[in-house]
Amino acid sequence: MRKKLIFVTTILLGAFLLSACAGGTVHGSTWPGLATDGNMVYLADGAFVYAVSLEEGRELWRYPGSRNSKLVFYATPAVTPDGLIIVGSAGTDHSLIALDPNDINPETNAPVEAWKFTGATDYWVAAPLVVNDNLFAVNSDGNLYILDLQDGRSVKDATVVTLGGRLWSRPITDGERVYVTSLDHSVIAVDANTYEILWHENLDGAVPGSAVLSEEDGMLYVGSLASKLEQFDPVTGNHQPVLEAENWVWNTPSLDGDTLYFGDVDGNCYSFNTSTGSLNWKPIKPDGPITASPLIQNDHILLATESGSVFAIDRDGKVLWTEEVGGKIYTTPIAAGDLTIVAPLETDFYLAALDSNGRQVWTFTPEN
Amino acid sequence: MWDLFISIFVNVLVWIYDVVGNFGLAIILFTILIRIVTWPLNAQQMKGAAAMQALQSDKDWQAIQKKYAKDKEKLAQEQMRVYKEKGINPFSSCLPTLIQFPIIIALYQSIIQALASTPLDLLKLSRSISLPNVSELIPLNSKFLWMDLGRPESVAIFGFALPTLAVIVAITTYIQAKLTMPVSATPGDQGAAMSNMMSIYMPLLLGYFALTFASGLSVYFITSNVLGIIQYAMQGKANWRNLIPGVLKKK
Repeated sequence: MRKKLIFVTTILLGAFLLSACAGGTVHGSTWPGLATDGNMVYLADGAFVYAVSLEEGRELWRYPGSRNSKLVFYATPAVTPDGLIIVGSAGTDHSLIALDPNDINPETNAPVEAWKFTGATDYWVAAPLVVNDNLFAVNSDGNLYILDLQDGRSVKDATVVTLGGRLWSRPITDGERVYVTSLDHSVIAVDANTYEILWHENLDGAVPGSAVLSEEDGMLYVGSLASKLEQFDPVTGNHQPVLEAENWVWNTPSLDGDTLYFGDVDGNCYSFNTSTGSLNWKPIKPDGPITASPLIQNDHILLATESGSVFAIDRDGKVLWTEEVGGKIYTTPIAAGDLTIVAPLETDFYLAALDSNGRQVWTFTPEN
Repeated sequence: MWDLFISIFVNVLVWIYDVVGNFGLAIILFTILIRIVTWPLNAQQMKGAAAMQALQSDKDWQAIQKKYAKDKEKLAQEQMRVYKEKGINPFSSCLPTLIQFPIIIALYQSIIQALASTPLDLLKLSRSISLPNVSELIPLNSKFLWMDLGRPESVAIFGFALPTLAVIVAITTYIQAKLTMPVSATPGDQGAAMSNMMSIYMPLLLGYFALTFASGLSVYFITSNVLGIIQYAMQGKANWRNLIPGVLKKK
């Protein structure tokens, strides 16, 4: 009898361990998505999307009202001009949901769904791009979905453009073309009006970050896991590497005039001058790998590192101040009012707000 | 230690993927490799099963079955004595199956890590691979036949999502367990009862795993089971009669 018990216990333990590795819906399974509309901070983290007040870091609502095993959030939410919050789920129902923060269900204290698109076949990682009445949303199934928002309160069937690979980053547009990066080592340009693929160019590595368009030289820049900064002609797609980084460039380079700031997973921060095609200064190395995009502010640039620190540097690469937030920071910080919001992993809190000198103003931890 | 174990699994899987260019094939070849590495355990299992079978015709064994037919506690004690005297481990046929658990858990974690369905997974993957051309390889292509190896599998037939792999996993696990099970003529034989229990619970459990977890794990289960069946059949040690319901009771 004792041996039977040991046997059954072993099997149950195995099942439990295997189930435990399934993860998925918990906070910390990957880095969260962060957005703001200037009044509230929206955090897509695990089972919920939280709306947090900017002034005091208090939870105003969460969606869904109670845990739903089909919903997992870590895609960056997008805020439409008419105030809807659009966020994709990495859960099993593959839904893209528009939430109306002005219409809160009093019973659940969750915003009402303005609409829900369930036509994708895989999970959502990227934030969608809103252009007038159109929503350009890319999914891990390799498709670009173009939704007609009409009056902003309803959604028609999507136009689907198959691009291939897993699409994890927000598309960008110059009004004529929509540029999409793919983990299948490619960058694609789609006509913003006809949705025809104009060019599809391959690189040596996956591109998890978005492209960035330089207004100064009119060129498109992309960082890749081939450890290169690549420059594209947005019309023809002709491209060339303009900088070899020390390691993978994970996120979207941040543009400040004619300068691109970006980091790599070795922890280097680069300042690349698009006019001269050279580095403004020798890369600096704060204190850990950089996957978050640098945040450009008036008088400084903020760098967040995997070591849990936020560094403010001036435009000459000199460190102005450092704040050890704690945990690991992968998500790009956002500027909201006078505050900078960071979303670290592996800490007791989900968000921290810093003032312009790096002092912590508040932290946010969901109550349950 | 465990992370190192996972890292080795991931590196071997990705290395095979680099060679064959298909993650499904990589899992199949990896499973063959696992079977080769665990060959001594399987050999021990077959040896144990053969010894158990031989024991059924042993006079001493048959005598204690008759003598203590009504005293199960005493019968169990006597059976253990015989096992000890003859150097037989009645659970040796279960051991390889149980040893599979850490391998299953490690493989599951390795598949999830290798297929990297989240940005953090992809970052972790980049750090755990020691191959020089890692940036060319990742992300790995998770598609194999009709499956996405990083997700649970089902096939839509007439609007119903049928978990075909889970069914195949359960059937092949059942067949393998039955083929390797010694035929017991004695009621109350703990070893045989345990093996019989295993042949019921394991297909259900692995079928449940296949239903719930990444289909790459199901590919491992099916490959491993089929290899096991072939191995026993080629060595002439497969008890095909066990597949027929009621055979054990009649004996």
